[in-house]
Amino acid sequence: MLENNVEIKSSSELLKTVQELKNDGYRYATMICLKANDGHEFIYVLDKDYVLKTLRYFVKPSENPKSMSGIYLCALLIENEYQDLFGLVFEDLAIDFKGHLYLTPNSPKTPLA
Amino acid sequence: MTTVIPFGPQHPVLPEPVQLKLELDNDVVVGALPSLGYVHRGLEKFVDTKDYNQTLYICERICGICSAIHSITYARAVEQLMNVEIPERAEYLRVIWSELARVQSHLLWLGLFADGFGFESLFMECWKYREAVMDIMEMTTGNRVITSMCKVGGTSKDLSKEHINIILKAIDDLEPQVKNLEKVFVNNYTVKKRLVGLGTLPKQLAYDVGAVGPTLRGSGVHFDIRESPSWSIYKDLNFKAVVENDGDCYARTKVRIYELYECFKLIRNAISKLPEGEISIQIKGSPTAGAEAISRSEQPRGEVVYYVKGNGTKNLERLKIRTPTFANIPALLQMLPGIKLADVPVVVLTVDPCISCTER
Repeated sequence: MLENNVEIKSSSELLKTVQELKNDGYRYATMICLKANDGHEFIYVLDKDYVLKTLRYFVKPSENPKSMSGIYLCALLIENEYQDLFGLVFEDLAIDFKGHLYLTPNSPKTPLA
Repeated sequence: MTTVIPFGPQHPVLPEPVQLKLELDNDVVVGALPSLGYVHRGLEKFVDTKDYNQTLYICERICGICSAIHSITYARAVEQLMNVEIPERAEYLRVIWSELARVQSHLLWLGLFADGFGFESLFMECWKYREAVMDIMEMTTGNRVITSMCKVGGTSKDLSKEHINIILKAIDDLEPQVKNLEKVFVNNYTVKKRLVGLGTLPKQLAYDVGAVGPTLRGSGVHFDIRESPSWSIYKDLNFKAVVENDGDCYARTKVRIYELYECFKLIRNAISKLPEGEISIQIKGSPTAGAEAISRSEQPRGEVVYYVKGNGTKNLERLKIRTPTFANIPALLQMLPGIKLADVPVVVLTVDPCISCTER
């Protein structure tokens, strides 16, 4: 288990928590996507003064996750990457490459899904 | 009315393919959109079929320029995952090779950058000096670029007394040469005219868009993973992060120049404190199922993040890598609006883009 880990139950709680952490001076380090129980598990990794905080959120199979790019613009690239690799569809993505950030129309579809 | 033109994927200043779709109003950039995917290799998928020792050599091949620190960061993540403490000598050896790698990377960048603004002789000077470091890499590890000096559990190569004397002599020779380069990059009228006030990224914006490395420190943000508690060895070596406040191309250049001196100091200090002893320990078993670890290092281009998760076998459940250029692309998109098309190559180069890392 990662240190400073917080379990998040809903997408509204996730957005609220991320916004609060940004206001508190945290920077967005990265986001990790894992396959979990037919859905996906996201781990948001944020940093302040070299100490990491991780937020863990389970995305249900039928759920379209909310984009964090409205809070941290830099989230848009990693979210687009996961659209390519896992076939996810993020809502409210600042710039949406629609599954073609890396992959061309002839590439393997959602290789990490 | 605006016009959209492609910058890249093949462009004289770009060593690797990436495209920026530039929206122009006459010759002034008003917007930019990246287009990636030219060198995406799917390495995070590829490692599914490799055990955790083999994966190290794949991480090392993500990129030729940052190769050494990729393998070290991966090894540290797996060591954390398996609760392994490596010999102290191996920690120091890793620092020596990391800092040598940073020197060659910064000299490579300074050369490419000089070439980018049309200073060919300066480009050749930088690359000539870089060769001294490449020779050290070859002498100490057998390879110039992919050194394979790191392994999970320590290092696979050691430094002899003869190697150490040659390294110390080489950096003693290199330091005055870097001082000569500094005079040109920092004081030359033409170079300053090209860089000062260009592509400015304000401090708060740099922090908010997640910039890392010299791109972030050039905007006045004091952030260098070598100062973090997880890298306590750097504190023992008297490391101090280089920070400049102006946020422009000139500031980012100065950060890299001054970091070279910091690298020389770290190499000397690491050599003077290099303890005797083993260079690695043997690791048995596999990472526990569900165990997770995050490891971070400061690459020449900035913070790299490795996440690993075990599944009870020799293979990893998941490997995720967030590379520095990936973090710096949003910052680059903020620097471009408002500058002239002729300045785009210079601004792009100041984030020291590494596309092989970005796309993996």
